[in-house]
Amino acid sequence: MKSYHDIVGDGGSNVVGQVEALHGAIAEALSGVRHRLAVGSGKGGVGKSTVTYSLALALRRQGRSVAILDADFNGPCQAHLAGLGAAPWIPGANGLALPHNTEGIGIASFGSLLPDAKPMEIESVAQGEEQTWRGMREFAMLAQMMSSIDWGTLDMLLFDLPPGAERTRQYAHFFGESTPFVLVTIPSELSHSVVARSISALADYPNPILGVIENMAGYYCADCGEVKPLFSSTIKELAVPTLGSIPFDPALAGRSAESSEDPATLALDAIARRILEDLESQA
Amino acid sequence: MKFLCISCDEPMKITTAAPPDAGGSITAIFACPGCSHQIAMLTNPFETQMVQSLGVKIGPKGDAPDVPAEPHAAAAAAVAAGAAPESLAAEAAAGGCPFAAMLGDQEELKQDQITWTTEALARLENIPEFVRPMAKQGVEHYAKTNGHSVVDDAVMQEARGRFGM
Repeated sequence: MKSYHDIVGDGGSNVVGQVEALHGAIAEALSGVRHRLAVGSGKGGVGKSTVTYSLALALRRQGRSVAILDADFNGPCQAHLAGLGAAPWIPGANGLALPHNTEGIGIASFGSLLPDAKPMEIESVAQGEEQTWRGMREFAMLAQMMSSIDWGTLDMLLFDLPPGAERTRQYAHFFGESTPFVLVTIPSELSHSVVARSISALADYPNPILGVIENMAGYYCADCGEVKPLFSSTIKELAVPTLGSIPFDPALAGRSAESSEDPATLALDAIARRILEDLESQA
Repeated sequence: MKFLCISCDEPMKITTAAPPDAGGSITAIFACPGCSHQIAMLTNPFETQMVQSLGVKIGPKGDAPDVPAEPHAAAAAAVAAGAAPESLAAEAAAGGCPFAAMLGDQEELKQDQITWTTEALARLENIPEFVRPMAKQGVEHYAKTNGHSVVDDAVMQEARGRFGM
């Protein structure tokens, strides 16, 4: 009697072929994107989303075309940060049209669709046990988003990832080796320990880790113009390069793509230049 | 998962697949190409959900058992005949939209009788099933607030321009 591996195909549904077709559609949709970069951490609350958006602004200041895919389906905030909270998703000539904000940044975020203060509820025929299938559904939705949005020609597509060291590794597997990572931390021992776990989790994957961005690295006082320490602890260095340190600035999320001499903007400009140099050298 | 006809030692082929029933079960019928013996595979709701979560379709040549083969064909025909389009919530449920529960109150839009041209509906086919109902709702809201009663290519172009697309 034949065994499972003696039989070619699955009887007609061709599930494997459907998955491969989706991967092909993603590659086609992203064919005009020069660089992809995943912005993760592992640790929540370190400012990943704000750093991602600020990095996009810094890239715009350097004349680059950039878009953000908000992969944090359970806490999407890129639409809000970009001032696109009410932008509908509209069919275009080649899939979903990508909304751009006034800074010229393309934003794909469920935050445009979900009412504020409402969680993303996913319909299910299964009653309960959501934890068994939700992760799979979210990655399928992410794949469909990537393949269906008309990304056009971009210098950089940034992925804003949700927290979780193990989750970060799943995204590395999903995106494939052509998507390098940067990890956001704050200068605290706790954050560094979680980010160190993310670095270890990513070690088994070929995705390069360009380095860490240290957010909230001191407090920028606009009154006195000085950067003062926020954390006093002495912490160990991480096993990847530090791309730069951004002082905490309450006004950071409200910045535009205009040039500025404030320390946070200067730090982000330097980080963006370094990331571009790293990516170009790897291309 | 594969099915083998023990008598013929031949893999069975899927012939039909019905959409999930009220209890969330898919019925897929497999037949042996040698002796034509048939069996029915009945999924439990968790198995159905796993298939839907993966974003794939079970059926001959991947035909969708969970959604109509052409989910907007009926709506397009209805619009062409001058009928009101189906409710968004019903379409969302049929299309596996994860946000069906959030589309709840469409009475306001229904009262305004926003209709779609067949060309505009065809554009919806180019976007993922799971966001179609939300996209449709967003466009209809834009149309309503900007004084349009019919959504056509021009209205969608206008909306795209408004949001820098």
